[in-house]
Amino acid sequence: MASRSSNAVANKSQVVKWVLRLLVIAYLVMLVGWPTAYVVKHTFADGLSGIQDALSDPDVVHALKLTAQIAVTAVIINTVFGVGMSLLLVRYTFIGKRALSVLIDLPLSVSPVVVGLALVLVYNGRFGWFGPWLEDNGLQVIFAKPGMIMATCFVILPLVIREVVPVLEELGDDQEQAARSLGANAWQTFRRITLPGIKWAVVYGVVLSLARALGEFGAVKVVAGNVGGETQVATVLVQQKYQNFQQETAYSVAFMLVFAAVLCLIVVALLRPKEHKS
Amino acid sequence: MIWFSLLVLIPLSAIIVKAAGGGLSTFVDVFTNDNTRSALVLTVVSSLIITAINMVMGTIIAWVLVRDRFPGKALLDLVIDIPFAMPTIVAGLVLLSLYGPESPIGVEVSSTRWAVLLAIAFVTLPFVVRTVQPVLEELETDVEDAAASLGATRFTTFRRVILPSLVPAIFAGAALSFARGISEYGALVLISGNLPRKTEVVSVRLFSFLEGGNIEAAAAVATIMLLVALLAIVSLDVIQRRVARRG
Amino acid sequence: MSIEIKGVNKKFGDFVALDDVNVSLPTGQLTALLGPSGGGKSTLLRIIAGLDSADSGTINIEGTNATQLPPQKRNVGFVFQHYAVFKHMTVAKNVAFGLEIRKRPKDEIAKRVDELLKLVHLSQFAHRLPSQLSGGQRQRMALARALAVEPTVLLLDEPFGALDAKVRKELRDWLRRLHDEVHVTTVFVTHDQEEAMEVADEIVVINEGRVEQVGTPDQLYDEPANDFVMGFLGEITTLNGVMLRPHDIHLSLTPQLSEAAEGSISRLLRVGFEVRATVLTDDGEEVTVILTRTHARQLDLEVGVRVWVTPAAGALTMPSTQKAAAV
Repeated sequence: MASRSSNAVANKSQVVKWVLRLLVIAYLVMLVGWPTAYVVKHTFADGLSGIQDALSDPDVVHALKLTAQIAVTAVIINTVFGVGMSLLLVRYTFIGKRALSVLIDLPLSVSPVVVGLALVLVYNGRFGWFGPWLEDNGLQVIFAKPGMIMATCFVILPLVIREVVPVLEELGDDQEQAARSLGANAWQTFRRITLPGIKWAVVYGVVLSLARALGEFGAVKVVAGNVGGETQVATVLVQQKYQNFQQETAYSVAFMLVFAAVLCLIVVALLRPKEHKS
Repeated sequence: MIWFSLLVLIPLSAIIVKAAGGGLSTFVDVFTNDNTRSALVLTVVSSLIITAINMVMGTIIAWVLVRDRFPGKALLDLVIDIPFAMPTIVAGLVLLSLYGPESPIGVEVSSTRWAVLLAIAFVTLPFVVRTVQPVLEELETDVEDAAASLGATRFTTFRRVILPSLVPAIFAGAALSFARGISEYGALVLISGNLPRKTEVVSVRLFSFLEGGNIEAAAAVATIMLLVALLAIVSLDVIQRRVARRG
Repeated sequence: MSIEIKGVNKKFGDFVALDDVNVSLPTGQLTALLGPSGGGKSTLLRIIAGLDSADSGTINIEGTNATQLPPQKRNVGFVFQHYAVFKHMTVAKNVAFGLEIRKRPKDEIAKRVDELLKLVHLSQFAHRLPSQLSGGQRQRMALARALAVEPTVLLLDEPFGALDAKVRKELRDWLRRLHDEVHVTTVFVTHDQEEAMEVADEIVVINEGRVEQVGTPDQLYDEPANDFVMGFLGEITTLNGVMLRPHDIHLSLTPQLSEAAEGSISRLLRVGFEVRATVLTDDGEEVTVILTRTHARQLDLEVGVRVWVTPAAGALTMPSTQKAAAV
């Protein structure tokens, strides 16, 4: 939607308009558009054979499966936690609420390798704080799936919360109070009143966090260690294949990841108008 | 709450404790290490440069998105979100295909400092645009008409009337852009070549410390990065509050 | 010399906003553009200012053909309904804006800003931000800002529309007194006929993009050109297919004149010193009659009483184009 620019009788503004337009288009094409198009080109340089070869590589299949598993698990955990956290932030007051709110945005500004390091320091089987105890009781975190899931959860933490909180605030708790006064308990109120209200915000957040989770690289790489195969996710595989001069495979897997991410973007773009309508 | 602590608070404090555990000497060692220092300088300076570029380009892009109308504009909107959604390692790959060896346009910047700038520009593209866009959309055009009726040219109107309202949003986006820039890893790992003292960034340095088993140094570097990140978030908060007061 | 508007047409897509408008606004006069919302008055005002352009026609401001000039060059002052204050500048800086653009020397600017703030009674707020002012104060500041550059003409677009009733009345009087002091050609847009009648020297009635009538408030009230003008400027009621003012109707308890319509009082409302009686005639017409309280008491009016109504002698009438009286 283009907002109305001042309609004042114009003179040289046409020239300026075109200069800006071209500048923007050139910048975006050269920085993002063209390079991205190249991935598609490289992937399909030999038709579908690139992808087919990639999919026949057991490493690739394993990595893709692992990525999907971790991403989905992380998103589910994060959604539950995110909605709960949002409710906490909006409906209750407590000391340290401001600090909490600021801290929630932290994962967006922290380097993924730092995230990995932090988790290692705490959960490493040998020298971590909780690590040894956990491992003695049968739960390996670092160099294993749980750790990778945790790493992913860390980086997608704010995504659902940031979508849900503003909607919750706008909804107000009038309806919830009305429900309570009519006899509904907390769970019923949540399921029948709150949840439908934040439905689209939650979906939005889920899709965004899924896209992000599929693409996580640095944090997961650190936590997974450099043990190829078993704990190698798709993104790490891309790096490895490229550095081993198996560029075609690298591009193919990269393409699949980008495709999934762009799909998420398109879904989000399509959902947005619906959100406004409701 | 418990989950949050387990996941976030404790590991983060672990870093600080570990780094502190090594004592001040670790920090000193880290700083005196040439490679590490160059990595820090390179990372911070590159991010600052790109952030400055983003502040200008981001505002222009937001302006064109909000005020201009032409076929295909929606596509541009989508293109801006690609860096958000794209896995960082793929971003590196993507930039390599156009700006690396075998570049179809003959531009090869891999393993140079330009690559660092390029990669950071790619991943931080959306930040200023997306913070400025909503503010621009909300701006009443009355004020621009008023300025015009008082004799101001379009440019003066932009400079004295519109820009001041955008400044908080621009700075908010800039803080995000800077924080993201200094933490970037995946996009840089392939294209920058990771040459120590030339094109190695802080996050890569940290990773090599980890691989080498030097946990203390890694923790020290991580603490520094955390401090800078925290600084970015806090200044963001302060600016946003000042905007609300002006409201 | 004056503002000459000739043959102005403006369409927004299929919607005709202005249809062959020709008006002459005399210099130094306070003119109101009056009409219902969406009638085209704001569009016309903005075209005079150069903030919108007409599809055809010319605008002449004090002898100069301004049709192609951008607003920056027309030397018009514009005041907006929602004030359009520069939020991040102090009151003083807001008022000084136009002068700073024209690169006047600093002390001249300071002097003029001082003068104007005194004129609008905002001197003590010079260094405050607009957000710290009330709506009425912001609008006074906007006026000072527009006057600072000594415009050839001052244009106000529903300037008091966003303010509450009391403030509106105050500012109305205040605008009139300001004009008496400053004498700048002023045009303001309003949909409030009371406002136009109280403040303006002359009123241009605009409806559906056309000029219905131009005249002084008295002229428009007493000699309306058509039923729209009559209906818009004052209350009307219909009797025997003829439009009248409700207080121009003679009501009696006995048939005094042969053309008197017979009916009974269906509703009686006492509003202050007025009494509004709704008479349902035997022909099915609903006629509103306004009498003074005293008169109503004299006649001992109650709901259900049989009465006869006729137009008073010498009353202003207009053939009604309205549909037969609503039941």
